[in-house]
Amino acid sequence: MKSTSYNLIMSALYKGMKGERPPVGNPTSIVCHGLMDLCGISFPEAHLEPQAMAELALAGHEILGFDTVMPEYSVDQEAAALGCNVDWGNRDRMPDSRHFPYEDFSDVKIPEDFLEKPSMRVVLDALSILRRHVGGKAAIIGKVMGPWTLSYHMVGTQNFLLQIGIEEKEIVHRMIRQLMPATVASARAQFQAGADIVVLADHATGNLVSPRHYEEFLLPIHQELTSTIEGPLILHVCGNCTDRLEMFADAGFDGYHFEWQVDAKTAVEKIGHRMCLVGNVNNPEVLYQGTPEDVYKQVRYAIKAGVDIIGPECAIPLSTPIENLKAIVSAVHEGY
Amino acid sequence: MSELLDTIKEAVVNRKRKEIEGLVSDAIEAGIEPVLIINKGLIEAMDVVGEQFAADDIFVPEMLASALAMKLGLAKVKPLLKTGDQPSLGTVLMGTVRGDMHDIGKNIVNMMLEGAGFTVVDLGVDLTLEKLMEEIENLKPDILGLSALLTITLPEMERAVLEIGEKGLRKNMKIMVGGAPVSKTFAEEIGADGHGEDAAEAVTLAKRLMGK
Repeated sequence: MKSTSYNLIMSALYKGMKGERPPVGNPTSIVCHGLMDLCGISFPEAHLEPQAMAELALAGHEILGFDTVMPEYSVDQEAAALGCNVDWGNRDRMPDSRHFPYEDFSDVKIPEDFLEKPSMRVVLDALSILRRHVGGKAAIIGKVMGPWTLSYHMVGTQNFLLQIGIEEKEIVHRMIRQLMPATVASARAQFQAGADIVVLADHATGNLVSPRHYEEFLLPIHQELTSTIEGPLILHVCGNCTDRLEMFADAGFDGYHFEWQVDAKTAVEKIGHRMCLVGNVNNPEVLYQGTPEDVYKQVRYAIKAGVDIIGPECAIPLSTPIENLKAIVSAVHEGY
Repeated sequence: MSELLDTIKEAVVNRKRKEIEGLVSDAIEAGIEPVLIINKGLIEAMDVVGEQFAADDIFVPEMLASALAMKLGLAKVKPLLKTGDQPSLGTVLMGTVRGDMHDIGKNIVNMMLEGAGFTVVDLGVDLTLEKLMEEIENLKPDILGLSALLTITLPEMERAVLEIGEKGLRKNMKIMVGGAPVSKTFAEEIGADGHGEDAAEAVTLAKRLMGK
């Protein structure tokens, strides 16, 4: 197998043949000020203009040497299309929305032109641009929010979690189920537009909810999503999810992108034989505050543990030194 | 009397929001002092909830539901308090740093601090440094609590701690920090006075910073 970026990532995704070195990728954003300055593109235009979005994603591969390109930097594309008033931020601040259109848990209406809304269109067009540039050479990763995260956006995170706490189970189930079609439509459209893989981010994180909550409310939904969406899916759930790793594998995802709070050796031991593991270099202490030597140590630890695709644990701090991102790539180029 | 207080405590711990107001009314009618209802019923209940949360026996949804029950009970009894009955443990100014809109963790800490007897002023989210400094100068809190959920906003937390110090605003004020990406190591490196791993730890820390 040729050790091209695309081959290394796709083979690792299915636990296939190893190449000359481990693949390096991030299903979530690797954009930082340094990268913006190197390619001359910044926020918010990279959230709003397809060419800018694509070029900034390309920079991660062409300038830094990552094997993946991932153009969706925010978590708000579907939320905006579903009616949230998203503030697209600026160079120093990621997008966010404090507007919760369904905070009374009324029935969600997914617009018929959902995929044509500007926030969806920009991602789909950027993916098509990336396909023309690096199709078959680098792995193109799309990103969707799962129905749990979309519920946070529609009703407010605290409001949503409170309903679970006061055991209003029926309205919680209904909200999640009503949002599933948005996740499915977004994922399918991104594959059609040119994505090789789609990361599904659904923040039922261990810092917020128990494994029991995941099992009751979200595992059946994830099983349905993975059997419905045809292309390869990587799950991203932040935080310490050591206690629910096996359930993520039961959910049917092809891969799991995990954070530093989950020890790499433990993750490999528990589910490494069932799914591709992606991660998990620490963001705050190592990538943001550490040195290239600190980065090197964590990368080698993850490789030795058996993590399949090496990269940051999550979207990186915007002030991450570019040298530390390059250190991930150079550490990986030492091989296995 | 202790039986009534125990049922109030149990109602908060077990998230019985529909029963709590009736139970608190019963306790008032039975002549139990409002201060006792608050301290032995509601505050002790939140201590238990905090311990359960720290032990991963319950998670954020259950904590929010208990906090709601406590809030409903407190609203029933607080108007009956006489001035000076329940001195505050201290004033805590809380906020999420600039660029970060997340507030659940902070809101839970607010609830736990209030439940423990602190006066809490919540400045909300996405706080500019200018707003923070202005409010510190106005309110002169005993403690500033800063929260961040996104790793990308950690630089803002670092900057806030540094510049508040440089402006001379830390003489009579302690700074505690917390949030999912915030570790003890990070807190020490940026010069915070303390770090709370979770809401329960935040309350213990706040009491320690107040010398209690």
